[in-house]
Formats: sequence, C-alpha cells, structure tokens
Amino acid sequence: MSSMDRRQFLKGGLAAASLLAAGSSLPSFLRGSGGRATRTKVLVLGFDGLDPRLLNRWLREGKMPAFARLISAGDFRPLQTSIPPQSPVAWSNFNTGTDPGGHGIFDFMHRDPQTYIPTFSGSLSTESKKALKIGNLVLPLSGGEVKNLMQGRTFWQILEENEIPATIFKIPSNYPPVPTKQRTISGMGTPDLKGSYGISCFYTTDPGIPKGELSGGRVYEVFIIGNRVEAKLPGPINTFKKDRPEALIDFQVLIDPSQAVAKVVLPDQEFILKEKEWSGWKRVHFGLIPTQSVSGICLFYLKEIRPHFKLYVSPINIDPGHPALPISTPESYAQELERVFGSYFTKGLPADTSALDNNVLDEGEFLEQDEMILRESERMFDYEFERFDSGLLFYYVSSTDQRQHMFWRLMDEKHPEYDPQLASRYGRTIENIYGEADRFLDRVLQKIDKDTVLLVMSDHGFNPFRRAFNLNTWLFENGYHRLRNPWKQEEGSFFENTDWPRSRAYGIGLNGLYINQRGRERDGIVNAGADSENLIREIAAKLEQLVDPKTGERAILRAFVAKDVYHGPHLEHAPDIICGFNMGYRISWDSPLGKFPKNVFEDNREKWSGDHMGAPEIIPGILAANRRVRAESPALYDLTATILDIFGIAKNKEMIGETIF
Amino acid sequence: MGQAKVKLDKELLEKVKKFAQLAGYSSPQEFITHCLEKEIAKLEESDSEEEVKKKLKGLGYIS
Repeated sequence: MSSMDRRQFLKGGLAAASLLAAGSSLPSFLRGSGGRATRTKVLVLGFDGLDPRLLNRWLREGKMPAFARLISAGDFRPLQTSIPPQSPVAWSNFNTGTDPGGHGIFDFMHRDPQTYIPTFSGSLSTESKKALKIGNLVLPLSGGEVKNLMQGRTFWQILEENEIPATIFKIPSNYPPVPTKQRTISGMGTPDLKGSYGISCFYTTDPGIPKGELSGGRVYEVFIIGNRVEAKLPGPINTFKKDRPEALIDFQVLIDPSQAVAKVVLPDQEFILKEKEWSGWKRVHFGLIPTQSVSGICLFYLKEIRPHFKLYVSPINIDPGHPALPISTPESYAQELERVFGSYFTKGLPADTSALDNNVLDEGEFLEQDEMILRESERMFDYEFERFDSGLLFYYVSSTDQRQHMFWRLMDEKHPEYDPQLASRYGRTIENIYGEADRFLDRVLQKIDKDTVLLVMSDHGFNPFRRAFNLNTWLFENGYHRLRNPWKQEEGSFFENTDWPRSRAYGIGLNGLYINQRGRERDGIVNAGADSENLIREIAAKLEQLVDPKTGERAILRAFVAKDVYHGPHLEHAPDIICGFNMGYRISWDSPLGKFPKNVFEDNREKWSGDHMGAPEIIPGILAANRRVRAESPALYDLTATILDIFGIAKNKEMIGETIF
Repeated sequence: MGQAKVKLDKELLEKVKKFAQLAGYSSPQEFITHCLEKEIAKLEESDSEEEVKKKLKGLGYIS
C-alpha cells in the first residue's frame, strides 16, 4: 500500500471506529475523549513457545523485570493452546478464531488418502498446467500457483472489512499471505527457494564426515587443488527443462596459502571470509533459460580452512527485493523492508536447526546465526512500532521457540543427550532467550501509550522430549497395521512395505492417527460409521493406557477423538485420533513418515530435545496484558474475539471464542 | 519417429499375443506400448512424491 493509500485507509478506519464506538459496549479504558475510539490501538507480541512455568520461575527469581511490570499493572494467564499444540495449528486458531475443524490445519503434515503420502498442510504449489515442449525445454504458457490452505477469515481481513488498518508481521500459517490490503509479511510456512522447509549445503574435504543427503541439508565432498576449491550451489528445480534438473551456480573458493582466509568467487561477485566468519547476505542468481532467472539470498560461513576445509551455505531464502514467490501484501511491502534493511530472513523458521542437529554447525555457531535473526527482528520491530499510529500491529518472534527445541537437553539432567561440559557453557541458553524476550518487552513498555492495548502471547509452552514413541510400530505390533514382509519391518519409508488391504489404521504427521476407511482411503477396509467409530474408541482407549516399560509412565495422556473436539466444516479431513503426549514424550523421528522402527519406544538422542506435542493441558502458552483479564482460562481463539471486540466489531458466526476482558 | 526393436522371451511373447487379442488390442505392439506407458506414468508420479519427501525433510520435527 502506498503511503497515500494508507492515509486514506486510516481516515476511513477512524470514521468507522467512531461510528462503532457510539453506544457500543466497549469498556471505558478503550474509549477516547468524547466517547470515540479513535485512539484505540492494539499491539500483539507473539513469542513462539514461551512457556508459563519457565516464565514464572524466572519471574520469581527477579529475572523478568519487564514482564513483572506488565503483569503487576495488568494481568497474566496460562493460555489454552490448540489440539494438537503444533505451531501451524495453534496460530491458525488465533488467526481465524476457530479450531482445526474451522480452519482445516490439523498438523504440520496431512496425507493424501489416495496415496498415503504425507503432504504439506499449510500451502499447495501447483505448476503451470499448460506448457510448450521444445527440445529439452518446457515453457509454461500459464503461471503456476501457490495457495494458502488455511480456511476461514483471518482477524486482519475482518479488520480490513471494518476499515481498521493492521500490520501483521510474520504471523505463522500465513504463507502465501491471505488476500488483503493490510500490510502483511509471511512467516512460518514460507519455504526456501527450493520450495522446502530449508536445505543447507556443506562443502568439506574432511574424510570423516559422511557425504550425501541429510535431513535438512546436503554434505558435498570437495577437493583442494592448487589452493582452489570448485563447487556448485544447488538452487530450485528448473521446471523449464524436461528432465527437471536442479539449477546450479558454479563457484570457487581460493584459499590463502598462509593465512586463515579465503576468497569466495561467485559468477557476479567475490568476497573474502576469515575462518569462523559469516558473509552477511549474498544475492545469487540461478539461470533457468536464457530469458529467465530467479534470485535468492544466502549466508556463507567459513567454518574451517585447515586441517579440513569446511564451508556452510545457509538455505537459500527467497530474495525479498525480487520475491520469486508471494511473501507479502501488498507485494511492495517486502521490497520496502528490503530497501530499509537490505536483505533479510524470509524463510519461515529462519534458524537452521537441522544444521545443528547434523553437527554442521555447533552450538555456538547456531547461536551466532540465531542472534542475527533476533537482532534483525528487533530492528524491524522498532521500524514498525515507530510508525504504528492506529489499528493493530502484530509482531512475531521465532527465537524463543527454536532455542528451546535445541537447548532443552543442556538444562535437563534427565535428558539422554545431557552433556555436563556443554551444559556448563550453554545450559542457560533458554534462560537467556527468556531474558531477551523480557528486554524486547521492555522496549515496548518504555514507548507504549496508555491507550494502546498490549497483548503478549505464545501459541504453546514447552516440554522435554526425552522418549520417542513409534506409533506405527505400536499399530503393527497390536495388529492394527500389517506389513507385506514383516521381516523387512525396519526397511523403507512412506509405508512401502504396508499391506494396505489388511491394515486398519496408520499414523502420519506428528500427532495424527487415521483409520484405513473404506471409501475414503484408496485401499480402505474399515466401514465408515459404527465399525470405524468402534475401532477409533478401541485404539484411543489402548493408547491412553500405554505405559513405557523403561519409565513406568504413560506415554499418551489423552487420545482425542477428532469429532469430540473439533467444530466446523473441515472435520472430515481431520485425523481420526490426535495423540496428546505426556510430559517427556513425543512421536518418534521416523513414525511420522510411515516408518516402522524395531522398538515402540526409544530414547531421543538428538539435539532437538524440547518439544510441544503434549496434551494441551500440560503445555499451555502465556497471555500477559496491560488490562485486567476477566476470563479465567482464556484460549487462543478467545484472543481473536477479543481483538475484534476492542474495535467494536462483532465476531463472525464461525468464531468460537469469547472476549477475555 | 524413431523405431527400436526389443527382444522378448518367446514364452512371454506368446502370452503377450494371446492377452493382447483377448483384451481387444489391435496388435501386440499396441498392448506392449500401453503397458509401458502405464508403468512409466507410475514412475513419473513417484518422482513428484520424491520431491515432496525431500521438501519435508527440512522440517525440524522429522528425520
């Protein structure tokens, strides 16, 4: 939106708000002079994964002074999260004021019942259907499409209908951004340039490091010949070519023969890196055909020169200066930010947790990268807060979530990956990020005016992830799932070995269990209706009784039956059972993708050691506000109704929340 | 259009001839072409599945 457009928009918004305020039920604190709500502003700070128990602990210890000030002047509540408490689900509850039955996002992953293959839940990309084939080239004659799969109206679309301006900064589940004239930029769910959740590259001469595909990365073997390393940077799939190769950029690294310094030479630029130095953003161009190229941005990090060469290149983010995919509304907003700040992180979850998990980056290097993300986030907040003069500003911070995922093991002596040596150095990483959240809040409290309603929220809390549950193995061992060759149980993935015409249930995604239902699944065998219903109740009861033999604890506190807990028109796409795990438990690493490891339970031996797949009652988020909160036990969708109510807007009939004030 | 010969086992060729006629194909060649096209379509489909799998791998929650 140009500045002129926005002023006009604001003008309309003020007029509408004054009309609505006349005779409305708005609390007195929201009314400006003369009963007009013209000065009403709402600022929502979203700290992903901020946990009420940890927050309370550090509040008691006096380590969260800004939160203490806010809460003493206003209020604090644990905030009911979604079922399941996964970020895309939880934020969609908030975005639309509904539950998954209303917005249709049930998990990070859904499944295609015709293929039993997992799919992205958040967005769907389709390539051009009409194409002209010339030799090895496939030229699309019409554009492809990317679609946000979250259903329902978002609160900022409803604000727009009521002429209240809003800026929505990186709210999850908004990729591609839903159609609106509001200023929005997409967050979690935004892919890298390859269309994935993030694939980094690591180039090394170290023979001790296995080469090839990793989860979330690739390791390439390179050779130093005459102080020169030759390598290729892979980009997006080149759909213009018939055999769909990856677009590649050739580059060289020239190593200084005596110093720990190297020069990286890309086709159109070169730069020098010292050992242990990050490059800052570099724009790279992938040629597709002579008339078409696509640009992305990435970070180079020279981890080591000697004895082994090690170069990390971050996932290639969509270039906000020339976005190849839609990441903002209006389109020019991403470019406006790029003009002000230069290149910036656009990948949905920008921290490269996979690189830390794969030992490509160590703890310190990961934190250096996440530090860049956090500081960038602060700078951009200051920019938006400075010009926030009406309506609503939502601002999202991811580092609180990402650091808890990766560093829980170093503050939890019971975790299988607890390492006392690393803990002595990084054991306070989570405490520190809570401190950063507090300092972030302090900047706000110093500047916020008394008419602005402030809501500080998180989508869920955090739990340790010590033990992993192989749902598909459990289904197999209990006769609900059959394998064609049981002796090959541990081989393959994506149910390659499944005997579908004899299988009654299967697990896909992080919390979901589906019945292999006749008429719904390709090879479904369980009749819809009573047969399916009975099987669901039987499996749910067994799951809730399941005890981990190693700990004697129940692994699943609640096995929710979808139709008991969801409301709305999309219920038919829900998993039949949603597993709500006990403290310390989560789905395993392999089960979500249709694998059958040998044991039902196993220790979690990954650095990814904190998680939030629990039963919602043990993993609430937080709500702190600068107003008294009437609701005893508010939920995410209540905040949506609250925001609309503050502006005097009635919630729509699909919304299930109530105002908290 | 280029043509290429493919060697088939005699026993298999007899079966192809028999079932091509039974299934109403105009020639064994048409039957074989149809079978190959169907199989190739399946493989092409699994290519796109491969892409989905690779893309999902970057999600920190799975291996």
